[in-house]
Amino acid sequence: MINVTPEFILLALVVLTALAFDFTNGFHDTANAMATSIATKALSPKAAVTLSAVLNLVGAFLSVEVALTVTNAVIRIQNPDGTPKPELMADGGHGLLLILMAGLAGAIIWNLLTWLWGLPSSSSHALFGGLIGATVASMGWAGVKWVGDGYKLDGVVGKVILPALFSPAIAIVVAMVGTWLVFRVTAGVARRYQESGFRWGQIGTASLVSLAHGTNDAQKTMGVITLALIAAGQWSVTNDIPVWVKVACALAIASGTYIGGWRIIRTMGKGLVEISPPQGMAAESSSAAVILVSSQLGFPLSTTHVCTGSIIGSGLGRTGAKVRWGVAGRMGMAWLITLPSAGLVSAVMWYIGHVIGGTTGAIVVFGIMCAAAVFMRWRSRRDPIGHHNVNDDWDGTADAAKVTVSGGVK
Amino acid sequence: MEQFLAALDGAWRVLLVGLVFGAGLPTLFAFGIRSLAWGAGGDASIHEPGVTLKPKLVGRLIAYLLFALVVLLVLSGVGYIVVHGLGWTVTFNGLWPVITPK
Repeated sequence: MINVTPEFILLALVVLTALAFDFTNGFHDTANAMATSIATKALSPKAAVTLSAVLNLVGAFLSVEVALTVTNAVIRIQNPDGTPKPELMADGGHGLLLILMAGLAGAIIWNLLTWLWGLPSSSSHALFGGLIGATVASMGWAGVKWVGDGYKLDGVVGKVILPALFSPAIAIVVAMVGTWLVFRVTAGVARRYQESGFRWGQIGTASLVSLAHGTNDAQKTMGVITLALIAAGQWSVTNDIPVWVKVACALAIASGTYIGGWRIIRTMGKGLVEISPPQGMAAESSSAAVILVSSQLGFPLSTTHVCTGSIIGSGLGRTGAKVRWGVAGRMGMAWLITLPSAGLVSAVMWYIGHVIGGTTGAIVVFGIMCAAAVFMRWRSRRDPIGHHNVNDDWDGTADAAKVTVSGGVK
Repeated sequence: MEQFLAALDGAWRVLLVGLVFGAGLPTLFAFGIRSLAWGAGGDASIHEPGVTLKPKLVGRLIAYLLFALVVLLVLSGVGYIVVHGLGWTVTFNGLWPVITPK
């Protein structure tokens, strides 16, 4: 029988918050894999989110690798083997649990805010930003590993900032070249024939992106929850995670994906570039290739940055297509401020939790997070976006690029 | 600075291999579509008015071969994710993948 102590309540709140983050991670990133397929009508909106959710679920179960040391890249709250630092373990791990709680709460609030704005910001940046903010508030600036040593990519600069600068650029180039080649090769093919063929190719490559997402992102939350369990003394092994954690995380990310962040899907599928099926396939192949190759080479990157870069590239590679740079600029801004903003929110959350103190502090932090979520959900009702209107024209005018040869006759 | 160089070093490798697979895959697929259109004849390719294009079996065969290649590449991508997820590492001996437990 589980003894309901204040420590247990705190742990339960951290686990709940982590699962909530995993859920926002899922719906924030549905767009990465499926925005292009929805925009080109290769899949109906409902079918697209269902397929993506199933693949995320499968992907989450596939990853047996233990991501317990996920925080070690940016902050110093764990030993190299994954166990928490002893100084944070006093009081039933209260210090560490409050850092995790505040960090996750800040990440969730930022994810919801960018969702409200329809901006595809990186969930991993939000998570890292939140953890960094809470750590700085609790342990001072020395608690953060800013720059790695030597040539091994590490720290905030090496693991987060530099990859965020490089990965969209790489994806833009790959997708641009792919799109350009595809349109060159199929120049003589009738448009309708060409498009129906590419819709199939698009579904295949988009599925690959969804699967890769499930294996990568669910793992991070599993690592955070296991760390919390170790801190609270409910788990002691560092090379394995409890089965229920895995099941809960897989279900959280998959249900998030199924709900679908329609506002973000709309921005990525319709807002950046008017995507045709050949562009969609080129973009998704580019994303899948860049994500898989970098994971092989140990180059850490954010799925969101890669997928957005690929879509922009597919607009640049097609003659006559235009990229809405205003929308892209807004996204760029969101990327730049994601880490510091999530950090700031989390730092404030940590102070609130710390000043009030004890389990009550954590309950207040949890309450503020829930209130913020409810408010943003309510605010989103003013201009609801769902599967019914996700594909409406972006600026009210029909796409000029569509008015070209559509039959088989010149 | 060293971190920047390390990132640059990783970035160009990702770019190079990314180009081969990420841009190569849709291009192969595009060749498949083109052969299929050529093989189908009729209105599948853009043509002068009054001309009827005849279907050609060879075109369709080439197309299916190319599609099979694309499917194989996508499946090896899936395989890669699965193998990695199960905690093995994949190294490449030339082009041939070697799977070893971590």
